[in-house]
Amino acid sequence: MVIRVDFEYVNARVRGMKSRLLSTSVLESLILKPDVESIIAVLENTAYKEEIERASIQYSGLMCIEVALRKDFTNAFRKIFNMVEGENAEKYVKVLLNRWDVQNIKTILRGKNVHMIPAEILECLVPAGKLDDTTLIELIKQPDVKAVIDLLATWGIEYAEPLTRNFKEYTEKRDLAILEIAIDKFRYENAIDAVKGDSYDDRIIREMIAIEIDVTNIKTVLKMIRDKIDIEEAQTCLINGGSKLDIKRLLAMIRTGTIEGAIKHLGTTPYNFLLKLPQEAFRAGKISVFERELEKYLVKKGISKFFGDPLSIAIIVGYLAAKYNESTNIRIIARCKTADFTEKELREELIYV
Amino acid sequence: MADWSIPIGAGIAFGVGALGTAWAQSKIGTAGAGTIAERPETFGYMVILEAIPETLVILGFVVAAMIIIMVK
Repeated sequence: MVIRVDFEYVNARVRGMKSRLLSTSVLESLILKPDVESIIAVLENTAYKEEIERASIQYSGLMCIEVALRKDFTNAFRKIFNMVEGENAEKYVKVLLNRWDVQNIKTILRGKNVHMIPAEILECLVPAGKLDDTTLIELIKQPDVKAVIDLLATWGIEYAEPLTRNFKEYTEKRDLAILEIAIDKFRYENAIDAVKGDSYDDRIIREMIAIEIDVTNIKTVLKMIRDKIDIEEAQTCLINGGSKLDIKRLLAMIRTGTIEGAIKHLGTTPYNFLLKLPQEAFRAGKISVFERELEKYLVKKGISKFFGDPLSIAIIVGYLAAKYNESTNIRIIARCKTADFTEKELREELIYV
Repeated sequence: MADWSIPIGAGIAFGVGALGTAWAQSKIGTAGAGTIAERPETFGYMVILEAIPETLVILGFVVAAMIIIMVK
């Protein structure tokens, strides 16, 4: 059964929010600024004014920008979630925002695995999903990985299930990737299950999830080739449900044993843009270059949805991608200014303008 | 026997126009409320946009009146 969702109100608000995103000319002016302080000065005249002012009470320089961006990003996503709460559109937004919950849990697990202090872990979190600041702070306070998983289970948070199931294997091998892959698989399986319908909205979300799975799988394949992981182990790390790449094809990519050989397998897929990357990236085995291009592709696909049906989830998908893109780009510009990158180097680092 | 065709015709002309207006205004109204919530400066435009579908029901009313007055 196709359930009609009323998107008039939400999409009008989201379009209004999109109109406040920074224009290309403002981003260009940020790129041309000499230092972080002048970037802050520009941001004070944009929609980031309020968060920049709030953050500048406690922090200065790069940290001020980081905190303000994170808060603004979280607020934007929370605002959309609150708008659709209790509506039929809620399930779509939940699927989209679950990405941040999973990312936050993975960050906390990584932090606990290497015994980082809570304040450092907190800095890396983006509480844009269902798990709010209070929940995340409580999770950070836990002494180790096991305690984090136990607390998730006590609160009945769904992600405890894959973590608990795979915890024994993690303790035996001491490899955090086991838990990370388990939680990723769980999220994608749930997401695909939630949008099985035939409606336009279901199809849009399904398409985005499938592309995300493809991108994650390609990244995993490249890392496996770099780390020379054997094929049996590789099989357990790949996620089913991609749009263009099935497990068979991904395993064939791993079997080639080289990054160049693996990328050649993508020739007939939409990911063939990776073949056009400079030869140095292939020779040096620079996976970060490929990861960045894949990330760009994902963002582009998301933003292109903004031109879809104006009374569908497409507008929200487009906005979330555009907001993520803007936030990441500002962060990259600020970091590059701190690290004294040249303008050319900085432009290469940007995701998508 | 009374001829009901004239008032029924006029009723359809007016009623369907009113329903069309109601449907259009509900959609424009919700979208307009969303727009004003984010950008209050667009209030003037939204009032005008909200009023545009009124032309439908006015046209329906005129047609209904013409049916009643002119059709013998």
